[in-house]
Amino acid sequence: MVDNVIPKSLDEALEHLAKGDYQIINGGTDLMVKNRAWSETRLDFKKNMLYVRSLEALDYIKRENNVLRIGATTSLESLLYHEHVPSVMKECLHLFASPAIRNMATLSGNIGNASPAGDGLLITYLLDGVIVLVNAEGVRKVRINDYVKGPGTTDRRSDEMIKEIQLHDDAFDYTVFNKVGGRASDSISKTSFAGAVRHEKGIIKDIRIAIGAVAATVIKDKSVEHMLRGQSIHQLKEKIPQILEAYEPHIQPIDDQRSNRSYRKKVAMNLLEAFLRQIASKE
Amino acid sequence: MKTIDFILNGKPIRSELSADRRFLDVLRKELGLTGAKEGCGEGECGACSVLLDGKIVQSCILPLASVDGKTVMTIEGYKKTKKFKAIETAFLKEGASQCGICTPGMVMATEYLLKNNPAPSYDEIRHGLSGNLCRCTGYNMIFNAIRRAAKEGEGLW
Amino acid sequence: MKRDISKSIDNVEGREKISGEAIYTSDITMEGMLYAKTIRSTIAKGRIRHISIPSMPKGYYTVDAADIPAENYVHMLHEDWPVFAENSVNHIGEPIMLIVGPDKEVIKDIVGDVKITYDEQTPVFDLSDSHKALEFTKGNPKHAFKKAHKIITYDYETSYQEQTYIEPQGFIGYPENDGVTLIGSIQCPYYVKNAVKTTMGMDDDKVRVIQAAVGGAFGGKEEYPSLIGCQLAVAVAKVGKPIKLVFEREEDMEVTTKRHPAKIHMEAAVDETGHIRGIRSHIGIDGGAYMGLSQVVLSRGMLAVTNAYTIDHVNCKGDVYLTNTVPNGAFRGFGAPQMIFAIEMFINHIAEDLGENPLEYKMRHMAAQGDLTATGGVFRDPILLNEMLETIMEDSAYHEKHKAYQDPDVFKGIGMSWFLHGCGFTGSGEQEKIRARIRLKKDDKDDVHILIAAVDMGQGPKTTMRKLVASLLEIPIENVHFKNPDTRYVTDSGPTVASRTMMVVGGLVARATRKLSEQWVSGQELVVEESYRQPDYVKWDQDTMTGDAYPAYSWGINVTEVAVDPNTYEVKVKDMWNIYDVGKAIDERVVLGQADGGQAQAVGYATLEKMEHNAGKLLQKNLTDYIIPTAADTPRMHNKLIDNPYPLGPYGAKGAGELTLVGGAPSVALAIEQAIGRRIYKIPATPEHLMELMNHEDH
Repeated sequence: MVDNVIPKSLDEALEHLAKGDYQIINGGTDLMVKNRAWSETRLDFKKNMLYVRSLEALDYIKRENNVLRIGATTSLESLLYHEHVPSVMKECLHLFASPAIRNMATLSGNIGNASPAGDGLLITYLLDGVIVLVNAEGVRKVRINDYVKGPGTTDRRSDEMIKEIQLHDDAFDYTVFNKVGGRASDSISKTSFAGAVRHEKGIIKDIRIAIGAVAATVIKDKSVEHMLRGQSIHQLKEKIPQILEAYEPHIQPIDDQRSNRSYRKKVAMNLLEAFLRQIASKE
Repeated sequence: MKTIDFILNGKPIRSELSADRRFLDVLRKELGLTGAKEGCGEGECGACSVLLDGKIVQSCILPLASVDGKTVMTIEGYKKTKKFKAIETAFLKEGASQCGICTPGMVMATEYLLKNNPAPSYDEIRHGLSGNLCRCTGYNMIFNAIRRAAKEGEGLW
Repeated sequence: MKRDISKSIDNVEGREKISGEAIYTSDITMEGMLYAKTIRSTIAKGRIRHISIPSMPKGYYTVDAADIPAENYVHMLHEDWPVFAENSVNHIGEPIMLIVGPDKEVIKDIVGDVKITYDEQTPVFDLSDSHKALEFTKGNPKHAFKKAHKIITYDYETSYQEQTYIEPQGFIGYPENDGVTLIGSIQCPYYVKNAVKTTMGMDDDKVRVIQAAVGGAFGGKEEYPSLIGCQLAVAVAKVGKPIKLVFEREEDMEVTTKRHPAKIHMEAAVDETGHIRGIRSHIGIDGGAYMGLSQVVLSRGMLAVTNAYTIDHVNCKGDVYLTNTVPNGAFRGFGAPQMIFAIEMFINHIAEDLGENPLEYKMRHMAAQGDLTATGGVFRDPILLNEMLETIMEDSAYHEKHKAYQDPDVFKGIGMSWFLHGCGFTGSGEQEKIRARIRLKKDDKDDVHILIAAVDMGQGPKTTMRKLVASLLEIPIENVHFKNPDTRYVTDSGPTVASRTMMVVGGLVARATRKLSEQWVSGQELVVEESYRQPDYVKWDQDTMTGDAYPAYSWGINVTEVAVDPNTYEVKVKDMWNIYDVGKAIDERVVLGQADGGQAQAVGYATLEKMEHNAGKLLQKNLTDYIIPTAADTPRMHNKLIDNPYPLGPYGAKGAGELTLVGGAPSVALAIEQAIGRRIYKIPATPEHLMELMNHEDH
């Protein structure tokens, strides 16, 4: 029999994590599905389970200037309707899943799963997220691209849990979020795209591009983003073929029961190009 | 013995069941409340929808642990409310229920939708119901029923 | 003036469904009830070498072929489908045995410990192994093709479609009177009863079948429940206790019947004026591992070969191919959606090839009253397609949109299909196979009880049958009763399939009601019965497949408007305008509800619902991967009905349920064709497929 622990406080949760190997379960919308079994029988959980969803101390949304701080047990639904949450993230949350799933699921859970198709993960990349991990000793911060190691694997140590996600917003002029799922809602992304740009007087001040479900992790190429900062929109327009070429080798999707490699790749490139052309049209 | 305590349809429940039990199984098997249905067991169809602290959730992927200290409303409790009567009448008048297996879940989704948005547009209804699959109706009559419930039950939400 | 029968009333059994009080199979528990779980083949084809069963705790049982008292086949049309696999297996998921016992955890452990070894054999997955070939000819197609000015040929393909009722299949069985009683999620109580009688070798009075509330069926609970009903009967007889067998979602999707994938070859002989003189066609359907109902599905598909067109010379051939995959079977439309997709696309493609306006071209070939059908029968009743077309063209602003969407940069399209659906069983099926009998009983309080085997699985007969009787007797509907059928009390009025319930069974109910009215003595109990008599005009030769395939036809037109995203190739089906001639609606809202639901299934069939297998293993086997429309996907539906009473139907009613699905897919596909400027030959037209089409240079 597995041990089931419902900690009453963060400290209690961390005590357990310090003592033994626990599977942290938050909203459960992924783990309860993955471990489902014949109805009315025990789920296929193999490890001791730590249920953190009810830790109210981690249910918060705060904003300090351009940094959005999201507690680990905050539901996606709370985020969707919160004034501090930027519109590009709301667009994502709206299409992420149905209301019931949004009420159960959390951003930290989505990040913890580290599925390359995770829509929350995509937004966390887009907004240069920092993951705040905590254990009995203290906290450490890890940038999202260092945190996610590959599909389902992360930098989290077994005695740690996610306490908070910090997202770095900007006064974007134009943002886009595209989820390409099997249907209009309630689906797993075949590919996803998020882009954001801030420009002043025809000069790009900030640009972010994240592409999901087309590689082992979300694609976000900081070097291209850096290269584009400070350039004029006109220069960007001329560089579109080069930019596409820069992303192309990163896009290495798979075939599965939901879609195929060539579709995912083509669509990801189309969405990237459409985003760039939209920016270019603002010249 | 660790217990899990919650309020179900207004009554306190103390459960000694394991925290990893699916809440749907607790409702149906242990408590004999069969209004929430199992259509898929993976949180996709919404036939098992219940309200947890007033928010719609899918009970087939809800661990019992998640209801600890919370308030749950199922169709068995909700059907005693005035709001339910307004929804019931609207569903009957508009033909929103055919085989009925998704209907209790649709009713819970309707309650959650109208609570947050007492006069939803068709588009808002579409997204509000997007976690509740129906294979019989093509949904249009459900949309109309919700519009009717919102109109005729005005003031309830 | 009398109230129009079509005017809607509240769905009479809606209340208990809305409140969650309706009792479905899985909601039932019985004292001392055991559970059953199925052990299944993990290979596509082979011989069972050895089955190793762990030592069974007390009170736990295996149930397999050796426990079958009489016949190890599911009584249907053929005797090839085993109740439990014995010696050999022919598809992944084929049932081999049940594990039965009181504790599901223990059963789960036992299931995990059962080990089966096989001698694997080479499975067949392509359409090469024909087990049934059918053919019919009208006129002289050889001559027509010989004299043809031009011969135009195309091939079309349709995929699996899963019924995806939201309630998975299941039964509870228990011993009763030295026999067995089954309560389940079923469309056809007597199919189950007759199958159980055959497998158990039991007399008629030993087998009782009761319908629980049915959470959707769409054909999926037509023949498949007979298989699990037989298994459970064997288990109940062996164990002597109540047993529950309810499928999990994935299990249901992996092992139950689906719509047959089909490949359809079409050839047209066109004369100098561009008129189609003859059509030759071959349809091959994938039956899966066992025949089941595939032969009848094939036949209905073939009979739709010329759809609602009059073609003088026709040759249609068809084959059921068996493959080592899950058996396919009944699904709303029953072969017709495949063929209607092919012929509707084909006529459009011919018109385009000839440089003709497709709509005008179709109108030139439209069937009219008095014309001969594809099998040389006669369209006896008025055909109102022209009137319907006028209405729907105006409602949908078809012409304006069609013109505007010629612009390739808007990525929008509008498509139209028209179609017919034969009502009831094919040919003399009603007379020779089904022989429906119905019974009405008036009790001493003058309440009337409808004792028929028709199942309300959402399509509304509990409302419409009661309304029919109440209306004919001019008594309140509250005084007319219709319970879920229980074979102990109801006669065999036939299965709840083939859009026959209102036209055929309702027709008998109406006749019996009139009889009851004539013999009515207040306060006295009275029972009347009626049985089916084929209309005298129906002449059908099953061997040559010629004559009147159906006593009557229902008609429909769908217009669909779509937008395609040029970046993602996703299709948004925005609006559908639909008009139907179902004779006379017994309840308008019930029929319109069928329309909305059938159309949504057609949209799914045309665009979203991809299912495929890899070496016999289905890849999309849950509701996450097999994509049916959500509320956000479904189009806005604009539906109308037109009255065209059929003389032999109750109040003029014909069939309705299947009609609303059979023709939707080509209207969607034609709209997509316009939006992307490419032709579509196969469905579902997924974004992945559209990408290939759109990136293909020559078209």
